[in-house]
Amino acid sequence: MSFDLNFIGILIGAIMASSVPLILAASGELITERSGVLNLGVEGMMIIGAISGFALMVVTDNLFFAVVGSMLSGLILSLIFGLLTQSLLTNHVATGLALTIFGIGMSAMIGKNFVGIPGKEFPLLFLNLKESIPFLGPIFFGHSIILYFAFGLPFLTNYFLKKTKTGLIIRAVGDSPTSASNQGINVTLVRYSCILYGGAMCGLAGAYLSLIYTPQWIENMTGGRGWIALALVVFATWSPIKVLIGALIFGGITILQLHMQAVGLRIPVQLLSALPYIMTIIVLVVISRDSRKIKLNTPTSLGQIFYKEK
Amino acid sequence: MNTKLKVSEISKIYPGCIANDKVSLEFGSGKIYALLGENGAGKSTLVKILSGVVKPDEGEVFLNDESIKLNSPLDAKKNNIGMVFQHFNLFETLSVFENLSIDSDKKDKDLRVLVDSILKKYNFKIDLDIPVLNLSAGQKQKVEIIRCLIRNPKVLIMDEPTSVLTEQETDDLFISLKQFSKDGILIIYITHKLKEVLSLCDEVAVMRKGKVVSVSNTIDEKIESLANKMVGENLNTIKKKINNFKNSKEILKISNLSFKSDDPYETNLNNLNLSLKKGECLGIAGISGNGQNELFQILSGEIITEGTSIMFRNKEIGKLNPRERREYLMAFSPEDRISQAAVPELKIYENVALNNFKSSNFFEKGLVNEKKIKEHSKKILSNFSVNTDNVELKSQFLSGGNLQKLIIGRELITSPELLVCFNPTWGLDVGAINYIHETLIQINEQGKSSILISTDNDELLKLSDRICVIYKGKLSKIMNADTVTAEKLGILMGGGSID
Repeated sequence: MSFDLNFIGILIGAIMASSVPLILAASGELITERSGVLNLGVEGMMIIGAISGFALMVVTDNLFFAVVGSMLSGLILSLIFGLLTQSLLTNHVATGLALTIFGIGMSAMIGKNFVGIPGKEFPLLFLNLKESIPFLGPIFFGHSIILYFAFGLPFLTNYFLKKTKTGLIIRAVGDSPTSASNQGINVTLVRYSCILYGGAMCGLAGAYLSLIYTPQWIENMTGGRGWIALALVVFATWSPIKVLIGALIFGGITILQLHMQAVGLRIPVQLLSALPYIMTIIVLVVISRDSRKIKLNTPTSLGQIFYKEK
Repeated sequence: MNTKLKVSEISKIYPGCIANDKVSLEFGSGKIYALLGENGAGKSTLVKILSGVVKPDEGEVFLNDESIKLNSPLDAKKNNIGMVFQHFNLFETLSVFENLSIDSDKKDKDLRVLVDSILKKYNFKIDLDIPVLNLSAGQKQKVEIIRCLIRNPKVLIMDEPTSVLTEQETDDLFISLKQFSKDGILIIYITHKLKEVLSLCDEVAVMRKGKVVSVSNTIDEKIESLANKMVGENLNTIKKKINNFKNSKEILKISNLSFKSDDPYETNLNNLNLSLKKGECLGIAGISGNGQNELFQILSGEIITEGTSIMFRNKEIGKLNPRERREYLMAFSPEDRISQAAVPELKIYENVALNNFKSSNFFEKGLVNEKKIKEHSKKILSNFSVNTDNVELKSQFLSGGNLQKLIIGRELITSPELLVCFNPTWGLDVGAINYIHETLIQINEQGKSSILISTDNDELLKLSDRICVIYKGKLSKIMNADTVTAEKLGILMGGGSID
């Protein structure tokens, strides 16, 4: 019995690890969207974060630089998005799509020289506790610092949006940029900040993949996680806590269906692979079906270009 | 404390229109000032300049004899100038308190005490913790006012505040404004409603075409004198001579027309019968929501019915869509100018092309002939006195009156045999209303017919040759206009009967 429990603990630990990139990217994008900006470049920023992190790790042999560098690279990519959409007033959707295509291509180009190089071991915390406590040990201990950060982030984001003045200003800008501007709020500055923050978080999500989750560089290694993160934000109706739930369900079913495939259940593999997507959407739609709450959480100006009257 | 506000030689030019032309005005605290003018006279621009939203091209603003720079809304706030816009600047999804706190440097706790004291002092009843989207228009306006009061304003500017209010809410607002004025706040009240000026304000400045044309005490003014100043000419009272159409040809006949809607919010129409003669205006009165929308859509072809139920110039048109009906020389002016009649984001000439997109003049071999459309649009603008000659202007920048002139002009320039209009003067100022009324009388004089669906009884009595009332989707007996009084209409509109 104790063996089984411990196995379940390890399984839960694995599920948590697999949902980290989704939580990070979705939390970042959530802040961006709450300010009224729709950045579809999440996938692109993640993959650029992944390759920059990995390349910096190889070149500098320093994981700290690698992590910070990946965040910076995501931030720089989002800065391009900001310049285009906020200063040159281009369409959010088209610009975001271009950003993703650019990111994937760019990462493949940089990454050519880094294929096949083994990654470096990322320090995991409380390893002794993980082994000494059955069941709970593998759940709560033996993870990287980024995982702990990721699991705290939705709660911090929630607090930030609901309880702080800056959070209030971001929500106000997302609700009505014109009103905000008439109230003397610098809409462009607020939106730029949110875009850059989102970019940095996507970069970090990418670094988690290439430095910790599967410590190596593989072309296209984000594998659509950026799009999942985007979908999570929408289906979680812009609520950080629901993003966390959605990411866990997605990660959970991904891992479980892999085990089911391994066991050799007589269910078509394609159906099993589709399961995480279907279940995540169903669960999020069900827990978010309060239409009044959706209306209150949705950034009314999402994706709209804002220009100031002069 | 006394406050003096002075604007000096303010000018602001937009492409195609001079919004403010060397405007100079002086205000002092303890009084309520009216800024009166038609839509598009430049009041709103002046107010946007005073609140720092728009920068003037020339001119200065003085507060207590000191020149102040108003480069942003923050500057206006710093100078204690408060502003309640016509279109609310609230965040709908945030709570009332969040809307107030976003603007304040105070701690939440202190702010709540302050807001509570304001609510108490002026007897406002608003729940601070519900989202703004759950408030009525009157309550939203109070939130805007509280937002200004938090900052101890010296000047409070109200831009067309009653356009969204009920009568009761308007009365409440006036009581509050008088109270603020007593407390030493200088109030500038922007409006195009003459009655409000006389009942609320001490002094009145009239603006026309971007200029200040008169400043006077309201005691010395009457509705007529203000109206004339506002429009800039003696408004002649229009009177239509009622004709006898016994020998005229019948142009439209609706027989036994019923409509049953799947949408629970729509009204079913029940066995309608009417006929219209050449050169005649038929008025259809009623309280809104009694089937006017559906009737208009049936006439315009947005709702399609049996072919035989509507005969227009001896042709069955019930099954035709709006474009096909236009080819038979019908024309339509819907109630909602912004979302039904025009596309606000499109330029004027593009909107003109829209209702005529089959015309071979405008489109050749699938290509747009911009030159011809623009010429045609210019003709509409000048023939129908639209206050711009720039056909490249986006329609959303036209005031309501000018947009309505454009829409009616677009319909009439093809000389249709029948014009169906639905509340054509809704929300317009005196000058524009007068113009539209004159135009509608003119087309009857030219032997064209019209159907006027309206909720404004004065308008109906002024323009119609015959009138009937729609009530719960049923039409009353059609009466000659000279036998109808406002009283009779009132009874029928409420579902009563007269004999």
